[in-house]
Amino acid sequence: MLAAAAPALAQQQSPVLDALVESGELPPVAERLPANPLVVTPVEGVGTYGGTWRSALRGGLDNAWIARTVAYDGLVRYDREWKQIIPNLAESWEVSADAKTYTFKLREGLKWNNGKPFTTADIAFAVELLKEPSYSVGGFVKNPNNPVDIEVVDDTTFKFVFEKPNGVIMDELASVNGFSIVSLNKEYCSQFYPKYNPDAAEQAKAAGFETWELWMTDRCSWATETIRWANPELPMMNAWKVKEPLTGSATRVTFERNPYYWKVDTEGNQLPYIDNLEMRVSDSVEELTLLALNGEIDFQDRHIATVANQPLFYDGQEAGDYRMGEEIQSSSNTMVIQFNLNHVDPKRRELFQNKDFRIGISHAIDRAEIIDVVFTGQGEPFQVAPRPESPFYNEEYAKQYTEFDPALAAQHLEAAGLIKGGDGMYTFADGSPLVITIDTIASLRPEWPDMLELIQLQLQAAGIKLEINNIDRTLYYEKRPLGDYDAQVWGGDGGLDVVQEPRYYMASGDESVWAYRWAQWFNGSRPEIAEEPAEWAKQQMDLYNQLRGEGDPDKRTELMKQILTLGQENFPVIGVSLPGNTYYIAKNNMRNIPPTLFQAYLFPTPAPYDPFQWYFAAE
Amino acid sequence: MLRFVTSRLIAMVLTIWAVSFVAFAIIQLPPGDYLTTYMATLAANGDRVDPAAIEALRRQYGFGEPYLVQYWKWVSGIVLRGDFGQSFEWKAPVTTLIWGRLGNSILLEGLAVIVMWLVALPIGIYAAVRKYSLGDYLATIGGFIGLAIPNFFFALILMYLSFVWFGETIGGLFSPGMENARWSLERIWDFASHAWAPILVLSTAGTAELIRILRANLLDELKKPYVTTARAKGLSETRAILKYPVRVALNPLVSTIGWLLPALVSSSVIVSVVLNLPTAGPLLLRSLTSQDMYLAGAIIMLLGILTVIGTLISDLILAWIDPRIRYGSR
Repeated sequence: MLAAAAPALAQQQSPVLDALVESGELPPVAERLPANPLVVTPVEGVGTYGGTWRSALRGGLDNAWIARTVAYDGLVRYDREWKQIIPNLAESWEVSADAKTYTFKLREGLKWNNGKPFTTADIAFAVELLKEPSYSVGGFVKNPNNPVDIEVVDDTTFKFVFEKPNGVIMDELASVNGFSIVSLNKEYCSQFYPKYNPDAAEQAKAAGFETWELWMTDRCSWATETIRWANPELPMMNAWKVKEPLTGSATRVTFERNPYYWKVDTEGNQLPYIDNLEMRVSDSVEELTLLALNGEIDFQDRHIATVANQPLFYDGQEAGDYRMGEEIQSSSNTMVIQFNLNHVDPKRRELFQNKDFRIGISHAIDRAEIIDVVFTGQGEPFQVAPRPESPFYNEEYAKQYTEFDPALAAQHLEAAGLIKGGDGMYTFADGSPLVITIDTIASLRPEWPDMLELIQLQLQAAGIKLEINNIDRTLYYEKRPLGDYDAQVWGGDGGLDVVQEPRYYMASGDESVWAYRWAQWFNGSRPEIAEEPAEWAKQQMDLYNQLRGEGDPDKRTELMKQILTLGQENFPVIGVSLPGNTYYIAKNNMRNIPPTLFQAYLFPTPAPYDPFQWYFAAE
Repeated sequence: MLRFVTSRLIAMVLTIWAVSFVAFAIIQLPPGDYLTTYMATLAANGDRVDPAAIEALRRQYGFGEPYLVQYWKWVSGIVLRGDFGQSFEWKAPVTTLIWGRLGNSILLEGLAVIVMWLVALPIGIYAAVRKYSLGDYLATIGGFIGLAIPNFFFALILMYLSFVWFGETIGGLFSPGMENARWSLERIWDFASHAWAPILVLSTAGTAELIRILRANLLDELKKPYVTTARAKGLSETRAILKYPVRVALNPLVSTIGWLLPALVSSSVIVSVVLNLPTAGPLLLRSLTSQDMYLAGAIIMLLGILTVIGTLISDLILAWIDPRIRYGSR
C-alpha cells in the first residue's frame, strides 16, 4: 500500500537544486545533510518536490505568521499531538537529578543556510549576547529569578546550568519562544558586537544607528522579530530562507528553499518539499478574504478564519478549489471577566475578594443567550478551566456556577453583604450605591462589547449596575499597576497550555489582572506595589515554585493538579463560554496537512504539523 | 513679486518649525509609550520580561527625558543629519521606511487630483452655463451621490464587484513581482491596471465637491456686466466664458490647493487599508496605535511640509490668475 502510494518522482533532493550541484555551486545532498538528519514521518505519505505556497501577512508587522510557518526550529519541538517534546536541532538531552543542569547534544554536521557549520559556539554566542543587559529582552536567558549559564563541552555538546532547579525549561525551548537561542550566527553577528569587534560602536554610528545595540537589532535580530526577515544575509536554520525581504514598503515577502535543511522524509528525501513561499503583505482583511475565496491562498488560518467568514468560505469551496479543516483553539474561554481583587478602594476590594459575590455574578449571566446571539450557537457555557481536550480537564471546574439561576444569584449576592435598595438594585452594606465599571477593548475583539452589552442587561435584571468602559489598549495596561479598576476582560489563554500559561488559575504574572499586586509579590518585578496574597494564593505559588524546580514530568502534573484544585475552590475569575472550533483553508491539492489542528500561540500552529513535509500533489 | 515670495518662504520655515513642535507633542499625549505596548505584547504572548532589560531599552530610546530634550534630539537629527530617528516597531531607521511609501502616496494622490480637475472642470462649467438642463441635473445627481458614498465603502463595493464579475481581486498598486521592477512600459501598464480603482475612489468625492463649487461661483460671475461687455464686443461664447469668468471662478479652488495634498493623504487612510495600497496612510495609522513616535512624527511632519508647499503653490497660482493679489503685496 505504502509502496504503491509513493510517487515515482521522489528523489533525494529538489530538482531545482540539481543544476547547482552539477555546476559545483552546491555540494551534493549527502554532504549538505548532517550525519543523522532528522527523519520526519509524513502525515499521509511521501510527497513530491516543487511549487509555491501562497499565504498572506496582515500588514508589515505580522511576523507571527512567519514564525508559525518558517521559523519554528528550536533545539527541541512539540510532537503533533502536543503531548511530548521531541528532538530537533538537539538529537538528545539529559537532565540532572536536581533539574539544574541540562545537557544537550546537537546533530553532527548541521549547517546554516550559507553552508557554514552550526555548532555550540553559535548557541554560546546567543546566550552571551542575550545576557547583555542593554540588549533585547532575552526570555529565559535573562530571567532574574533563575539565571542560566552555558558550558560548552565540544562542538556538539553543551550544558545549560541554572542557579535553581528548572522544571519548565524544556517547554520553553519547545514553544515558539525557544527559537531565540538558535537564531544567532556567531560568524555573521559578532561583527556588530563590541566584544568581538572593537570598532562596532563607531561603525554603528557610521551606518546611521545611535548605538551598537540598535545596529545589531537591525541586522541580526533575535527570535521572530519582524526585522529579522528584512535581512537576507542573516544566516538561518529554517526550511526556507528569505529571498525578497520584509521591509516597510514591501507588498510581498518571499522565501526559497534552504539547500542545507537538515531534515529528510522516511525515504531519505531532503525536505522541504515545497520550493518557495510567497506571502502577500496586506493591511486589508477584505482583500485577504477575497484572495482566499478566489483560490489564491494555498494555506492560511490567521486573520481570515473568523466566525463571520465561515459560511462565506464554506460556500466558496468548490469555486475556489480549497477545503476547510478544523482547528481546536487552546483558549478555554471567549471572554474572561476579571474582578480586581487588589482594588485600591478597600470597600471594593473586600467585595470583589468575596467568593459569594463572584458566584452570584456568575449565576446571573445567561450564557445560553450570549452563545446564541454572539456566537451563532457555537460553544457551550464554560468557566475559565482546562479544555475538554486537556489532560487536566475537570468537568466540575469547567461547569461550576455556569447555570443561569436568578434566585441562586440573589442568594449569593446577599451572602456577599450586598443589600437590595428600593429601586431593586443592590447597594453596599452601608447603603452607598454600587456601580461596577468593566474595561474592554473593542478594537481587539469586537465580540467583547457585544457580549458585555448582553451581560449588562442580564446583571441589570439581577440588580447589579454595570458600566462598559471601552478604552485603548495602552490605557488598559497603564491602569493595571495603578490598581484603580473594577474589572477587565481578556481572552481565555491557558485552556490547553495549562502549565505554561496558568494566569487565570493562579496569580502568576502581569496578565493575572484579577490579582495584579499578588502576582508582583510572586515574581518580584514591581516590589513597590506588591502585596502579600491570600493564603490559598500563596499556597499555589509555593506549589508552582516546586513545579518549576521539578524534573519529573509526572510529579509536575501532580503539582499542577493541586494548583488547579485551589483555583477551582477559590474561583477567582468568571468565564462565559468555550470557544467553538475555528478552521483553516487549504487548496485541495495541498497534502500532508492533518484534518484537525490545535491552535495556540506557544504551540505555533501550523508549524508543529511540519509544513516542510506539506506538498502539492500533481493533478 | 520677489518680496512676496521671500516673505512667504520665511513664513514657511516658521510654520514648519511650529508644525514639528506640535506634531511631536501630540504623539506623546496618549498615556504610556511604545515600550508599554511592546511589553504588553510580550507579556500577552507568555514571554517573561526582565524589568532591568526594559529599563535599559527605555534609556536607549531616550524615554523619560523631558519633552524639550527629546524634541531637540529629534529635530536636530533631522536638520543636521537628515536623520528622522528610529522606528521602534520596525527597529529600523525611519528614513528607510517612509520615502517609498510617501512617493506612492504623492504619485497616487497627484493622479487623483489631476483626474479630479480634468473631470470636474468641464462638467462644472457645463453645468453652470447650461443651468437646469438635463446635463446639469445629471451632473448634480452624480455629484451628490459621489459626495454621499463613503470612500472606504465605495472601495469595498468595487472590490466585491470586481471579484464577482471578473474573478479578480483588486488591491495593491502592482502585480506580484512587479513592485520592485524598474519603471518600464510594462510596469506603467501594470500600475495603471491596478491604480484605476483607488484613483476612481479617491477622486469621486473631490470631483463632486469641485463641480458644485465651480458651478456656484461661475453662476455668480456669469451675471456680471463684464461678461455682457465681452459678449457685446463680439467675443465668441467659448472665449467669453473661458477667458474671464472661469478664471475668477477658479479662485476659491486654487486657494485651497494647499489643503488638497494633506487632505487626500488623511482621507485616503481607510481606503488605503481597504485596498491595501502601499502608501503612507496605513503606516501612519499603525505607528499611531503602537505609539511608534518617531515614525508617526516624521509622517505628520512631512504632511505638514506638504501643506505648506501646497499653500505656496496655490499662492503663486493665485497671484498669476488674479492680479489683485499681486498688487496687494506691493
